[in-house]
Amino acid sequence: MRYPYATMTEIEQADAFYARVAAGGKVEPDDWMPDDYRAAVLKFVEMHANSELMGVLPEREWIMRAPTLRRKLALTSKIQDEVGHAQLLYRVAEDLGKTRVQMLADLLAGKTKFHNVFHYPTRSWADVGIIAWLVDAAAIVSQQALRDSSYAPYARTMRKICWEESVHIMHGRDVVLTLMNGTASQRAMVQEALDRWWGPLMQMHGPPTDPAKDKDLHWRIKGKNNEQLRQEFLAIYVPRIRELGLVIPDPELEYDEAAGRWHYAEPDWDELRSVVTGHGPMSAERLEFRRVSQAETQWVRDALLGTASAAA
Amino acid sequence: MTHSGNVNAPDEELAMHYAREFYGRRQESNRLWVVPRDAIAELDDPDLLKPPFDRSFKKPGGYIIKHKLEAAKARAGSKEPA
Repeated sequence: MRYPYATMTEIEQADAFYARVAAGGKVEPDDWMPDDYRAAVLKFVEMHANSELMGVLPEREWIMRAPTLRRKLALTSKIQDEVGHAQLLYRVAEDLGKTRVQMLADLLAGKTKFHNVFHYPTRSWADVGIIAWLVDAAAIVSQQALRDSSYAPYARTMRKICWEESVHIMHGRDVVLTLMNGTASQRAMVQEALDRWWGPLMQMHGPPTDPAKDKDLHWRIKGKNNEQLRQEFLAIYVPRIRELGLVIPDPELEYDEAAGRWHYAEPDWDELRSVVTGHGPMSAERLEFRRVSQAETQWVRDALLGTASAAA
Repeated sequence: MTHSGNVNAPDEELAMHYAREFYGRRQESNRLWVVPRDAIAELDDPDLLKPPFDRSFKKPGGYIIKHKLEAAKARAGSKEPA
């Protein structure tokens, strides 16, 4: 349905837009949008793109240390997929009015964020399995809810990304299962990795938000709130973790039948805040890697874009 | 040459006789190679024998976990997920 925008004041325009969106209407890049909707979508998509780009760095550390050729190829393929996802998402964000150059500059300057989980180190091959299985699973829970986003280019991208992520999760689960069917020390390695990753995983979807104030929810940029996503993740994955004999390092974690929800120890929201603002154990190092990569590849951009400064 | 089986014998001479009894009584063999087990060097690395040129690691069909999952659950002593 097309509203006669030309005859309305800007406020009426915005109200009509929000009513359409709240009722499930979709927005395309060349539609008129209120500035704050455009800014909200951009911020959301930009952080997602940043996360895909930075998310390859923990896994990249293990390409040269994978135990078999098949695992090396699977890991490399996954990393290529993730960088591809970053490209797709920066493309969506560019159409909303921010250049790729500016987005990468803001990421490297620490002005924009990426997900907490990618600020942590990896310590063993078991981390690779835990990340590909559980971190990707937590991400896919969010991404599936985004497949019906009001911003249509983002929704379409999510559908493609979700399909590819599902194979990543299979790869991760296969790595974990192989270790769990191995030696006692391999099983211990998985348990140790889970002990370190559980905290960041529980923080990943963010603290519960007040639905009344959650604009992203209201404008259907996202479809579910943080707590719903966390509950969905727990419902699917806690049984799958426990059935392997792994112990989740939260003694308070249990399902309350009466309340219809999982109870758990309060995640450390201070840690989350500190990490996503660039104070995680690997934040500085990984951003520095991206800075160095960007400097080293400047000659490619200069050659393609014709921006080379005068020859030295 | 195909692997037929094995015999349990104290020395090479008896091993040859047993091999003929089991695998040569009905003119089913032209030639029998009889070797002590510890003379056999085995190559079973899937990376070398079946490198994943089909890129199955990129596809859902490349990850059939049914048996691995059953084995892991049995080891953990758990039944159906809670």
